[in-house]
Amino acid sequence: MATTTATLEPGSPVSGAPDTGRSALRSSPALRMIGRRLLLAVPVVWGTTLLTFCLMNLLPGTAASALLGDSATPEEVTLLNHKLGLDQPFVTRYFDWLGHALQGDLGTSLASGQSVTGLVFQRLEVSAELIVLAFLIALAAAVLVATLAARRPGGVADWVSVTLSTVGLSVPPFVISLVLVLIFAVNLKLVPPLGYVHLGTNLGWNLRTLILPACSLALGIFAVLNRLLRADLIDQLRTEDYVTTARAKGASPWRVLLRHALRNSMFGLLTVAGMQIGVLLGTTVVVEQIFSVPGVGQQLMSAIQNEDVPVVEGIVLVIATITVLANLIADVLYAVLDPRIRHDSASS
Amino acid sequence: MTVQAPEQPAQPGALPDAMVPPARTVSPLKAMLRRRDLDLWIPGVILGALLVGCFIVPLTGVVPDPMSSDLTQTLKAPFAPGHILGTDTIGRDTMSRVLYGGRTSIEVGVAVNVIGVVVGGLIGMFAGFRRGIVDSLIMRVLDVMLAFPALILTIVIATYLGPSMMNVIWAISFFSIPAYARLGRAVTLKLREQVYIDAARMSGRSDWAILRQHIAPNVFPQLATYSLLQVGIVVMIEATLSFLGAGEGPSQASWGTMIAAGQTYLSTNPAQVLVPSAFLFVTVVCLNLLGDGLRSRYGRGV
Amino acid sequence: MTATTSATPAGAPGDRAAALLEVRDLTVTFPTDRGPARVVHKLSYTVGHAETLAIIGESGSGKTVSSRAVMGLLPPAARVTGSIKLNGHELVGLREEEMRRHRGCDVAMVFQDPARSLNPTMKIGEQVTEAIRLQSRVPKRQARQQAVELLGRVRLPSPERRFHEYPHQLSGGMRQRVMIAIALAGSPKLLIADEATTALDVTTQAQIMDLLLDLQEQYQMGLVLISHDMGLAASYAQTVMVMYAGQAVERAPVAELFTSVRMPYTKVLLEAVPKLELPPHSPLPVVSLRAPDLTKTAPGCAFAPRCPRAADDCRTQDPLLQEHANQHAWACFHPEEPAGVAVLAETGGQLAQAVQESAVREVSQ
Repeated sequence: MATTTATLEPGSPVSGAPDTGRSALRSSPALRMIGRRLLLAVPVVWGTTLLTFCLMNLLPGTAASALLGDSATPEEVTLLNHKLGLDQPFVTRYFDWLGHALQGDLGTSLASGQSVTGLVFQRLEVSAELIVLAFLIALAAAVLVATLAARRPGGVADWVSVTLSTVGLSVPPFVISLVLVLIFAVNLKLVPPLGYVHLGTNLGWNLRTLILPACSLALGIFAVLNRLLRADLIDQLRTEDYVTTARAKGASPWRVLLRHALRNSMFGLLTVAGMQIGVLLGTTVVVEQIFSVPGVGQQLMSAIQNEDVPVVEGIVLVIATITVLANLIADVLYAVLDPRIRHDSASS
Repeated sequence: MTVQAPEQPAQPGALPDAMVPPARTVSPLKAMLRRRDLDLWIPGVILGALLVGCFIVPLTGVVPDPMSSDLTQTLKAPFAPGHILGTDTIGRDTMSRVLYGGRTSIEVGVAVNVIGVVVGGLIGMFAGFRRGIVDSLIMRVLDVMLAFPALILTIVIATYLGPSMMNVIWAISFFSIPAYARLGRAVTLKLREQVYIDAARMSGRSDWAILRQHIAPNVFPQLATYSLLQVGIVVMIEATLSFLGAGEGPSQASWGTMIAAGQTYLSTNPAQVLVPSAFLFVTVVCLNLLGDGLRSRYGRGV
Repeated sequence: MTATTSATPAGAPGDRAAALLEVRDLTVTFPTDRGPARVVHKLSYTVGHAETLAIIGESGSGKTVSSRAVMGLLPPAARVTGSIKLNGHELVGLREEEMRRHRGCDVAMVFQDPARSLNPTMKIGEQVTEAIRLQSRVPKRQARQQAVELLGRVRLPSPERRFHEYPHQLSGGMRQRVMIAIALAGSPKLLIADEATTALDVTTQAQIMDLLLDLQEQYQMGLVLISHDMGLAASYAQTVMVMYAGQAVERAPVAELFTSVRMPYTKVLLEAVPKLELPPHSPLPVVSLRAPDLTKTAPGCAFAPRCPRAADDCRTQDPLLQEHANQHAWACFHPEEPAGVAVLAETGGQLAQAVQESAVREVSQ
């Protein structure tokens, strides 16, 4: 479980100095790198679908017998198996499912008979808003706190930074949710403890219902980003020569920090942040349960309870694909943003 | 050591060593604690106390049976007579439940990482040593697994497998293996460069023997150091899973289930949620601090 | 410590009452694991307006640290005592905000490695514009124009185009020109070039050095050249100061130094320069032992352990820098005999030629 909040992909660049070799050729190295990554992503996405399908169909409890219960007669089981197409060979079922999925058809829900695709994307909207909010909160807070901490290491902001990061990395999001509810909803009564108001209905209430779940999600991400950014900023301030140059020009410490150090850190930070989207999606499942937010996560949980296999499969597939794509974009974004890769080096 | 003057230093005009700051940035508090090994002792002692509390104290009979419910004493707040941390909805003593619950969490945490280290380490060593197509294939599979939103699948798997601790362990282990495998492979690759020459000299030695004698003794300790940080994460995941109802049934004591049960009483009796949460927090923080401290001393390896 | 200089309309700097830069008893100490390291010890020198001083020494001699002290760019852990007066203003002990007011407009610095000294993610133009706008309240557009002019003045080819490029798109020499432009943005009265050409190839070195000297004339700046390269000092400086273990051990006008070197360390520096006249495979003289440990502050000359002429008094007493004839100062109890012409021949064609050339230049002005 190394990819949950606390650890990183090995080799993810953070400071503004990646190890990319500079191409002497005229063709843009950036495009080549993007192309390479895209190509590599394809087998990963495919593998994701395979993994999803395997897990869903090789686990006990998904067979018709489990669906019907112990009292089912063998004939009923066979009938249901045939109806669900479960008596087909595994490979056929896989490609059948995959083929449909590529066309946008994720099957129909066993519980409601509705199209899974429709159900999922309906709920996805809500989850998306929640995740975007959480992401923005985490990013903004991380930049703010890390910058203040780097300005005065050992000061108040630094202490806050370390404490919040430790909490964010040591407390699972569901606990954070409950604590936040306890403080802000129960005791301070600032926001409702659960529920959801749609964005279109009332923006104010929408934000009030989403602020606590968003913060619960954000804290873990904040911890990761804050730690990295703070370390990177301090490192730059202490060791990089361009910082000395800036100071020699007469730049104030804030200017050095913001216009030189922070600027260089942002690429790496955004890349890492992008890779946290997968984590966010996973955590959303829990948080939506607690706050009764009608998103994809809640849908997944109830589908699991109801043993509504197509819905579970569909949701897992959608989430997995989004995660892989988010990672890919984050990776590629680095290449696009870093001017050293964007512009080829000229010969003198 | 003779010096040619004028010296052509590696970095002409470089500042004297005193001016070059240490590579890793630590806050002054951390530095102070580290010098006296306090950053290992403090979490270590706390964890030790927890371990004693969870595994040994229940055996002594000092705390009441976590399963015995006394319906005359339901939902007591902490510091009630006889129940230092209060009781839950059906009168079970919170203190004993918290200690028993700790056992579950810690056992899962350790078991998952042992499996991860062993299985992941073996896979990684194998891939790193063999290289070639086998290695590429394994790496692709690992990549897919690592790209996955693991938490979601873990929930799905654990729920489907049925409520039992072993199932939870298997579910979490499945997704912890790739990280260990990757690390093990990286270490093996590095070692291979060094050991390879020895291996050539020891012609006739089977691959297995080389792996066993030379590579494994280097890989596993590094994985073990890394695993300390992972135990905390696994504990959190286990808590999340049992909170969602995926782990042991609610009748069993587990921090996650206790918190889940306490949810309904959050406004009236927050201790139900806060007590197991506090234990969870302290445990994970200590594990993380311990892991951090050991890692900074003995290095990442790769 | 003023020497005759090449054409200065204002006359010889010696005419001015106050020197541009006056360093007196500068001491810089750093805390280390093994105790405080005395990186600069009681350093004193002056630089006149429009004068060029070369500070020569190995790495660890304190030459860089002392110049950083002038700029106020030392890490917070450094302890600085003594006096640094720039145009009469005392710089030691200033708070950061006060020091900042002097940076760029009174004293500026060009650093060694332009690849690392320029922000890799900022366009060249922006970095120069920033320097300009930090020195005066100029609107952006005007600042940009000034930046392009400045880039032209440092002889950067196609400055308008380079304005929009990133550092990695320029060659080392071009980058260093940009660094010089940045340093000149505030028209400083004193420019410190810290190993400014070390990272460049020989041809570019010469170009940059010529540029620096021309700019010095244009701007009438004091110029401090920090290097380990004696040849550089010979070709471009008026006065040379040799540092060892944080102290000034010899100081003289350049011609005087090369014709009658006194401090054994300086002699070793001169002799170690490879000379074309010597037969191939001639061994280069080496100095025994290693660089001094700056945390040990025992009495005695710091160079004594490695000095071929060391005697007992060298090991027990501190030699002080004392000025003798011809504005030549040295800190040694047993200096070399002035060798005269013989030294010239020995120290090699290049150096001799350089010294003779500059002597001719001076005489003909």
